[in-house]
Amino acid sequence: MKFKNYAKPQNLAEAYQILQNEKNAVILGGNTYLRLNKKTFSTAIDLENLGLNFIKENDENIEIGAYTTLHEIETNAIIKKYFGDFFTKSLKHIVGIQFRNIATIGGSICGKYGFSELITALSVLNCTLVFHQNGVIAFKDFIENSQTKNDILVKIIIPKKCGRLSYKMLRNADSDFPILTVAVNKNSQLNIAIGSCPTVAKLISAKNELENISEFISQNFTFGNDLRATASYRENIASVLLKRALEETL
Amino acid sequence: MKISLNINNQKYDCQIEPDETLLNLLRKLGFKSVKKGCDTATCGVCTVLLNENPILSCSYLAVRADGKNITTVEGLGKKADAIIDAIVNEGADQCGFCGPALILTVYALQKELKNPTMEDVNRYLAGNLCRCSGYEGQLRGIKKFLGVK
Repeated sequence: MKFKNYAKPQNLAEAYQILQNEKNAVILGGNTYLRLNKKTFSTAIDLENLGLNFIKENDENIEIGAYTTLHEIETNAIIKKYFGDFFTKSLKHIVGIQFRNIATIGGSICGKYGFSELITALSVLNCTLVFHQNGVIAFKDFIENSQTKNDILVKIIIPKKCGRLSYKMLRNADSDFPILTVAVNKNSQLNIAIGSCPTVAKLISAKNELENISEFISQNFTFGNDLRATASYRENIASVLLKRALEETL
Repeated sequence: MKISLNINNQKYDCQIEPDETLLNLLRKLGFKSVKKGCDTATCGVCTVLLNENPILSCSYLAVRADGKNITTVEGLGKKADAIIDAIVNEGADQCGFCGPALILTVYALQKELKNPTMEDVNRYLAGNLCRCSGYEGQLRGIKKFLGVK
């Protein structure tokens, strides 16, 4: 990735103005994946001065700023208190500690990457995203649509109240991209997300008891081929991982 | 663009391109212990400490290091010696290309994790690839250095 100018605005309004004025500007996240892009951008907008690196709790929710790093989420005491090792499991295999110290939650979400384990995990937690211009958007709506183009993600809101959680994944080698990811949140209903299909994670809400797991998967999810696994292998693995995840939430 | 950063407790005023990486800047300044390996944020040989935390300098923009503290293995001085000795004593110092990054990451691990298990150590060091050693010798040395039981 190349860019001609670098901007470090002092507030969100200034950052948003640059984004609107320049057709070819880009918001920097951790720059871990963006840097592999072949494009040349006019201006890279760095939000480091905007105080978007935080993890806070209020009565009902946990709020995570868009510039919070993956390692901060992985090790944060508030996150562990309410979600146990759910986030740690979904983050600890991502490349290495050096990568997770710079990659951000905002960059992971806005990239809508198929391999994103964080998107699989967040998908089942009934989260909402807060954008500077578009305001509050449900996480699922953001992943499935693109109405927030040219906007700035400010924070992620996760309700503290959740059911029993489980996260499972399979990868060929540690620190490689996953072949498949599965997250389950069992509350009054089942939230099931499957990612690395290799497309981005999809959330399906279901009744609390699945009669036939493989049938549920074939009816609701589509899998593809890539250099790591075939579609049929992914579909078979999905049944196994989902069964294990459901057993953990009993 | 002009930036000013501290590298190994010494101030550097630098002229950089806006999209220049910290890795590129450090190598231009003569810090050749910081290696360019995969250049795709995978292998870990470009690791440096940013305000004491290990990061990939290949993915970190030099402009973002303005006003911050960078430590390369040269900056660890004697703190690195004990880690190096532990690895050398196991005969695991082969080509040495991954060595500086591994030493910095072990140093950061020691500061961040209290009483780590071998599983914690393996997890913390997973982003440091080595193509010579097969890791066993390195990990024997690191285990002794950290006093992991």
